[in-house]
Amino acid sequence: MTVELSGIPVLETERLILRGPNTHDEAGYVAFMMSERSQYVGGPQNRFKAWRTFAMEIGHWAVRGYGMWAVTMKGDDTCLGYVGCWNPGGWPEPELGWTLWPEAEGKSIGYEAALAARDYAYGTLGWKTAVSYIDFPNERSIALAKRMGCVLDEDAAWPGDTEEDRCAVYRHPAPEDL
Amino acid sequence: MNALALDIPLLETERLRFRMVSKDDFEEERAFYATDRSKGVGGPLDARMVWRTLAFIMGHWVMHGYGLWGLEDKATGRYVGRAGFLNPHDWPEPEIAWTLMEHAEGKGLAFEAARAVRDFAYGTLGWTTAISLVKADNTRSAALAERLGCWRDSTFQHATEGEVPVWRHPGPEALA
Repeated sequence: MTVELSGIPVLETERLILRGPNTHDEAGYVAFMMSERSQYVGGPQNRFKAWRTFAMEIGHWAVRGYGMWAVTMKGDDTCLGYVGCWNPGGWPEPELGWTLWPEAEGKSIGYEAALAARDYAYGTLGWKTAVSYIDFPNERSIALAKRMGCVLDEDAAWPGDTEEDRCAVYRHPAPEDL
Repeated sequence: MNALALDIPLLETERLRFRMVSKDDFEEERAFYATDRSKGVGGPLDARMVWRTLAFIMGHWVMHGYGLWGLEDKATGRYVGRAGFLNPHDWPEPEIAWTLMEHAEGKGLAFEAARAVRDFAYGTLGWTTAISLVKADNTRSAALAERLGCWRDSTFQHATEGEVPVWRHPGPEALA
């Protein structure tokens, strides 16, 4: 028996297809979350926790109607990472998030995908603003945020309750400024 | 209701409607997970983790093609708990699971739900055996497992939860 989430939009950019997550992405997702490279996105996690996190990523779509897309190159359905609109319960405000597997780095894939996700958030979902939560030492991600025109918002709330949870909150340019 | 539909099979028993869990169930689940009654299923959890648990339950359906249903009292429409299948990566084998909200206890609803779930496992999914994981101090669930004809089969060593007794259900032939 197969159960699918229907209605996840597919986004197309110059080089990429952003599609809904599916079970084929599991191995890459779990491997990433088990690696040191997931340190800024809640990892590393053990295999079991990572599997649950992946299932939760899929469920996020069901609850919110939006979520993280699997990023693929045109003509190759292999998932290279997850980029999209992230807003689990308790999040201070909706976020644009990006996580790329190591083999996809250095090709501006994250930038291209994140731009498409932001266009979708503003154009289709009607968001008036968006943030990206980034751990302070995550320089690659901060560079991407800056390239997208984000600025540090020091007054914004961060996910979590304590100063220890604090991360950098990068605010994206508003729709009217794009 | 949820923002995107998951096309799962819907079941009905005498008193219960089985449907997808929904974000509308969040408040009931949050209240449940705030209490020690949730100890048998990984609780207590704060609101954030409850949200993620519901999302996990939905994603589980996509991962496996089976999962936990939300249970609704047919007479009142109220959410009374969940029952169905769990098989996350760290499970020894697919499980028949049930959890009732406190207000729904003591009416035989979990028994009714679990039997329907088991029938679905054997009849529709074609399972040839099934287990239920019931923590040692969860005496209510252990009693229900016995009522379902289960016996203590083995002990599962969970990475974070420690030792969990495994109850084995009678197979399809034994129930036929």
